[in-house]
Amino acid sequence: MASRKKVLLKVIILGDSSVGKTSLMNQYVNRKFSNQYKATIGADFLTKEVTVDDRSVTMQIWDTAGQERFQSLGVAFYRGADCCVLVFDVTAPNTFKSLDSWRDEFLVQASPREPENFPFVLLGNKVDLEPRSISSKRAQQWCQSKNNIPYFETSAKEAINVEQAFLAIAKNALAQQNSAVDLYNEFPDQIKLTNTQKPSNGGSSCC
Amino acid sequence: MNSKHEKLIGQVKKEVKKVMEESVTRNFIHEESGSVTSLCGAVEACLSQGLKRRALGLFKTSSTTALLHKIAKHCPEAAIISKKLQDIENLDPNRRSSSSSDSLTKPLFQKSQTVITPPSTLPQPKYLWIRLALFEKQLTKIIDFLVSNANKFYDKDALVTDPDYGSTLSSLLLGPCALDYSKTKTPDHFWTDPPANELVQRDRISSAQSTPPPVRRPILNIGRSLNTSSEETGTVRNSSQYFAKDYVASLHQNSRATLLYGKNNVKVFPANSDITVPMLGYLSLHQTPIGLIIKWTPNQLMNGFAEEVQDKSIYWEFALHVKLDEIVYVHCHQDQDAGGIIILVGQDGVQRPPIHFPKGDHMLAFLSCIETGLLPRGRLDPPLWTQRSGAQRKRRRPLTTLSEHEESNRDYVFRIIDNSLDKEILKVKRNELLDPNASLPEKIRTQLGSTSTTSSDSSTKSFSIDQNVPDSPPSVCIQTVCDSMRRQIISRAFYGWLAYCRHLSTVRRHLSGLVNSKIISSEGAEEGITLEKWKELCTDGVVSNHNEVYRLCYFGGIAQELRPELWPYLLGHHKFGSTKEQRHELDEETRQAYENTMSEWLAVEAIVRQRDKEVQAHAIAKLSSESMSGEAVPAPQLQRDLSNDVFEDISDDDYESNDEHDPAGKRTSRLKKTERNTIKYESDEDLEEKVDEGHEKDQTKFELDASERSVVDESEKKLEAEYNEKNAKKNARGTGTNSEIPAVDAHNGCNHDELKDFIHNVIVTNPSVDISNFSCEPDSPTRERDRLESVTEETTRNSSLDTCIETHGLASPARSACVSPASSNGGVYSQELLENFGLNLHRIEKDVQRCDRNYWYFSSNNLENLDKLRNVMCTYVWEHLDVGYVQGMCDLVAPLLVTFNDESLTYACFCHLMERMVENFPCGNAMDSHFANMRSLIQILDAEMYEMMHAQGDYTHFYFCYRWFLLDFKRELLYPDVYAFWETIWAAQQVASSHFVLFLALALLETYRDIILSNGMDFTDIIKFFNEMAERHDSRGVLKMARDFVLHLQVLIENK
Repeated sequence: MASRKKVLLKVIILGDSSVGKTSLMNQYVNRKFSNQYKATIGADFLTKEVTVDDRSVTMQIWDTAGQERFQSLGVAFYRGADCCVLVFDVTAPNTFKSLDSWRDEFLVQASPREPENFPFVLLGNKVDLEPRSISSKRAQQWCQSKNNIPYFETSAKEAINVEQAFLAIAKNALAQQNSAVDLYNEFPDQIKLTNTQKPSNGGSSCC
Repeated sequence: MNSKHEKLIGQVKKEVKKVMEESVTRNFIHEESGSVTSLCGAVEACLSQGLKRRALGLFKTSSTTALLHKIAKHCPEAAIISKKLQDIENLDPNRRSSSSSDSLTKPLFQKSQTVITPPSTLPQPKYLWIRLALFEKQLTKIIDFLVSNANKFYDKDALVTDPDYGSTLSSLLLGPCALDYSKTKTPDHFWTDPPANELVQRDRISSAQSTPPPVRRPILNIGRSLNTSSEETGTVRNSSQYFAKDYVASLHQNSRATLLYGKNNVKVFPANSDITVPMLGYLSLHQTPIGLIIKWTPNQLMNGFAEEVQDKSIYWEFALHVKLDEIVYVHCHQDQDAGGIIILVGQDGVQRPPIHFPKGDHMLAFLSCIETGLLPRGRLDPPLWTQRSGAQRKRRRPLTTLSEHEESNRDYVFRIIDNSLDKEILKVKRNELLDPNASLPEKIRTQLGSTSTTSSDSSTKSFSIDQNVPDSPPSVCIQTVCDSMRRQIISRAFYGWLAYCRHLSTVRRHLSGLVNSKIISSEGAEEGITLEKWKELCTDGVVSNHNEVYRLCYFGGIAQELRPELWPYLLGHHKFGSTKEQRHELDEETRQAYENTMSEWLAVEAIVRQRDKEVQAHAIAKLSSESMSGEAVPAPQLQRDLSNDVFEDISDDDYESNDEHDPAGKRTSRLKKTERNTIKYESDEDLEEKVDEGHEKDQTKFELDASERSVVDESEKKLEAEYNEKNAKKNARGTGTNSEIPAVDAHNGCNHDELKDFIHNVIVTNPSVDISNFSCEPDSPTRERDRLESVTEETTRNSSLDTCIETHGLASPARSACVSPASSNGGVYSQELLENFGLNLHRIEKDVQRCDRNYWYFSSNNLENLDKLRNVMCTYVWEHLDVGYVQGMCDLVAPLLVTFNDESLTYACFCHLMERMVENFPCGNAMDSHFANMRSLIQILDAEMYEMMHAQGDYTHFYFCYRWFLLDFKRELLYPDVYAFWETIWAAQQVASSHFVLFLALALLETYRDIILSNGMDFTDIIKFFNEMAERHDSRGVLKMARDFVLHLQVLIENK
């Protein structure tokens, strides 16, 4: 359809159910918050036009179902992603614990060209709620252990940091797309195995 | 070379269509719209192809911009644009002069960039001069100039040099040149993917037929027949609207017709009317499979079609629709003041209403479009463009040149001649094989093409050899030609038949399982099951004629007030032929079983809750130690003090301060706070509010009470009282208490005496915990209190609801009291089971909290209904722990619960429903077979759609149907429509097809097939489209179409 001519950035939002994936997406694209979102079934996406580094790009933000049972669907949606957004709920430790599996699952299913350099962004959502059970320090530690993933603390409800986070997502996605093109031109037949090492950092195992 | 030209022109056509479409649907078009840029790009590609470099020797770059400057000397229009261009460039010296200088090196069909922010901050818009020329409405004239001087600037094989393509290019641009472009910025001025709404609206305006266009297999294609039949019966589409659609379709180039010419404000004297003033309208020329068509639509119909249809209906009579096949003569009258008049005269000698062209070259452009459109099979005589001898092709414009030289002879008469008709077909006509109606080769081709399937490509080629015959020397023996044609026709007919047979066998093999073989008539069933019908069917409380029930339900649905009574039959809970007493007994049994199951999992829930608390306490303790170490928060907006967070629960800060100033000292020591903090299950906003209320209530309660102990005693007494009451009821029913309520766990069990002791014990040993739980738990205190009250007040109500609330109420204190680590290990329950159920419990809670909260039944005013939903869901999961809770199950329970408003009946029916549905969930494998079946169905019932899906790549896996199948369309429709869909699906198993969902999905897809096809939607577009269209479908239409699909397939399979 009409907008194919623009740069299209495909962004996938992953995370446990009810961490606020749909809310974040809608807050960013429509600047609205509702507490009546239903559980996402299958997948949905919204698009938003943004200007990143003076380039006009279209972000195609994919919102996915949060239950890991639906991960088998993922392969259809993850393909061709330029950036993956991991979301957890700062008040729910379990949602933080499953980040590793979301990340690994994504890398397996999307099988990006350079798994170790594929851009992820971590969002700790619901910072407006109390009590917190995951400190920002711990989240940052996790990010550091994963090749310095950018981390943002957001609140989809209060629109805290959402804009900034998605701008960073767009930038990373754009960088990924550019580098992927270069890479493709240089090494058309490069094959990378996606055996992502799982560094067992002390933070993620006890809570 | 020609194919390249074809491509270039095709691209221009496409972009012109887009621009025109955008201007029509939006009522304006912005200068920076993406489609304008694309159009300019396409024009640029045409103009730069075959451009002589030498001709522009003086300029450094061989660009079309340079060309413009070059021709500025001779062409006044170009001079204007050239000057403007220079002005703009002078404004900003940084800008590079040739906006499109690099275009030669770029791929011809590149999609250009769209500029979003104001141009001042960004590089020059692309194709600047073409843009300017377009906005200044000079582009056509400049291109005309280029075309007539093509030999100077272009190579011989350039598109512009080509006599046909050159003029086509300029005439294509007449439309866009006539538009006014807006500079105003509005939020939506960029032409991006239109939302689903707009697509539907556009389709409503533009779709001429909602039927499949040129179909390969007309016999199999049921889309057409179905749609037309629905149109005939449908009340919505009256004939004039259908007519309207057909006409307004002429605005657009679609997959069936190519727009060759369009011009607005063309005057026509309508025939057979008393209107004496010529009317203005839109004139257009279309190339369709049945030949050229000239249309003229009054302006009254063109603007804002959607409004005031009734006022405009009379104008439809004036609209023109002329098939050029029927026209023999074209009379042209030139008038210096008024432009030109064209009168079309038919085979029968009847004149069509005269068409008045405005001043300018419009008439000529129109005629040249006709001439181009007639090629290669027809022509104008005398030709509009004459060719002089010699290598150079020089054009002459007969109309204008003549008018310049000879005043007297301004009128022209053209005869439309069919080449093939002349030379060949007249003779072939005698051949009996040929239907006299199909005298045109074109028609033969379409007809034959439609019967053949697999062999179509090869035979088309062979047939096209025959079509070259007209050009071959006349010495070719006519007999040979006839023989050859006969052979071709027979072989094609044979191949068509063969392919059809093969196809049918495929249909039978793959799809026969999808529908029932017996066709059941829909006669008299359109009304469905009404109250009167039900009285007939249900005599003395016994329903014996179950087939009739299914049949009526399938074809007409069930009256809303009968649903609670009938659904249990359809779902298999109640048996047909059962008496009222039997059913009552069954319901009673179901209810008791349900209660038993509930008491089981409630006990487990209590353990799970306790474990959660411990885990959370641990986590928070850990966090507090972390945050004490002074970790800064990176988020600048987040100004909260983390160290405080540790000691707050979601019951908010007021609570904390109250606490400190509480004179009575009723609160327990701070040491217990961490424990209390752990009790947080939901973070939902609604709940938070509720919690606040709850605290107020609780506080007052506490203040009234003299001591902590008395509170506990009171609630304990209440509980005891209820418990006795419940037992009494049960005893009255004749069942033993102890046998009925299983003593699941010594600590958490529901046994009366044990519970009592247990509460005492816990309270004595650890009263503070209990109190804090009572007062601070975000969820239970209020509800529990309410429940307790409601139970005591409504003791007479002997419903399952009460009972389960009781049970729930009993479990809560046990839950809160259960503090010892030993008990949290779970007694008789294995660790694994506890973890598994706990996980499911959390998931259920999360999803129940957000299940259709905007529907009144689950709104914040009816929170007790959420509890019912949760209970049903938990009971199901407890009984099916191997399946577990999967997202979407709540959506399936909700409509049942809303209909029955009875937990145990909902549970029983849900279990029956899940027998079929569970296979769709990730644990089953029905989804893949659904997708495969969908694929076959589309392949057979809508070949065109199938081909498009195939061409779009990997979306034959139909993930856009995922939610449809998973939830039986529950998320796609509003509640009343969900009911109608569901009962039809249930009844369909007995009446027509046990895979009715497939046909519903197909119908839903086919409803929007024109939109999908004309927009060339890919996988993502379709997902987005249907997500946006959710709850906005025409459910009755879809249901009817689905039933028709089933019937069609049944007929197809039966007809052996």
